[in-house]
Amino acid sequence: MAKYMRLIVVLVVISIFSGAVLAQTYKITYPNIKQNALKKQEEAIMKVIPGAAKYKDISKDNLKVFKGLDENGNFKGIAFIAEGGGFGGSIKLMVGLNPEEEVLTGMTVLSHLETPGLGARIEEDWFKEQFKGKSIHDKFVAKQDIDAITGATISSNAVGSIIKNTIEKVYQVYGGEF
Amino acid sequence: MTLLKDLTRGLWRENPIFRLLIGMCPTLAVTNAAINGLAMGLATSFVLICSSIIISLIKNFIPSKVRIPCFIIVIATFVTIADLVLAAFFPDIHAVLGLFVPLIVVNCVILGRAEAFASKNPVHRSIFDALGMSIGFTWALLLISIVREILGMGSVFGINILGKAFTPFLIMVLPPGAFLAMGVLLGIMNTIQDKLATR
Repeated sequence: MAKYMRLIVVLVVISIFSGAVLAQTYKITYPNIKQNALKKQEEAIMKVIPGAAKYKDISKDNLKVFKGLDENGNFKGIAFIAEGGGFGGSIKLMVGLNPEEEVLTGMTVLSHLETPGLGARIEEDWFKEQFKGKSIHDKFVAKQDIDAITGATISSNAVGSIIKNTIEKVYQVYGGEF
Repeated sequence: MTLLKDLTRGLWRENPIFRLLIGMCPTLAVTNAAINGLAMGLATSFVLICSSIIISLIKNFIPSKVRIPCFIIVIATFVTIADLVLAAFFPDIHAVLGLFVPLIVVNCVILGRAEAFASKNPVHRSIFDALGMSIGFTWALLLISIVREILGMGSVFGINILGKAFTPFLIMVLPPGAFLAMGVLLGIMNTIQDKLATR
């Protein structure tokens, strides 16, 4: 019994040390990591709302929605984060929308875990560009109104349905008023 | 003298990549540009040196039955530190290396040195051994990534050196290029080794 106790004690002691060191490292690096993520988010918002120079966070009900404004404070459109399951894991997108014309103004991929060379091609410009100018009443189904990536129909469809579902949720919560 | 021998072992005679052929996963996966090869080499070096020191320090305290889990906890701790520090201060490199940073945990160079050297030798010798292996690993990664970047992009560290007349072989920066570069370089290294041995 005593010899097993030693194994357990050693492992526990090492694990506690490891946990303490990591907690400290996390505390030191967290502000920077958070700032980097914010910067990335801001760049994404500016990219999907044409003409936006600044943004206002109007998130509510678990939806991340941002209002894009130009330098004079004029409303330029909204951007929202759309998240859902892809082929290899969660796909996170930033989507721009013009509520007056009810069309998308752009889309960019924030993070994904799709297969490199296949599903990961959702990051390519030709794929992302096709969502620009798309009506929110479209079906967003691959091979029908979206060009699918060869060998990655599931990923292509996932992007479409993630966007479609999130648009519906945004309209449910905000009722078209931003 | 022993220390010098510990240091130089990893540089050539037991170079992890060209002589022992261990740690192939990061070697093949991230060497598509010189900056990535260098960053991966340095991140792995950090983990290798730190974990060798700690493992050498606590070697008498670890029962041999649980030595592998203990080594893995120590290594994983340093990998997580490297991952967090890269994410906080070098987000661009972190975005490229991405998944390969956490995978340093299972890099056999590190566990191999912990098991074969650090757990049997005093701290000062372990430091020199880890240092030598790190330099050996990093220069090998850097060499492969420079070759691939020159042939695949016509540049080194993002600076174009071959001009517009050169048409890059895009395949060299894609996964198959890793095997092509690795195979040819290994052939060259073996030839050099044979020349050295017969002398």
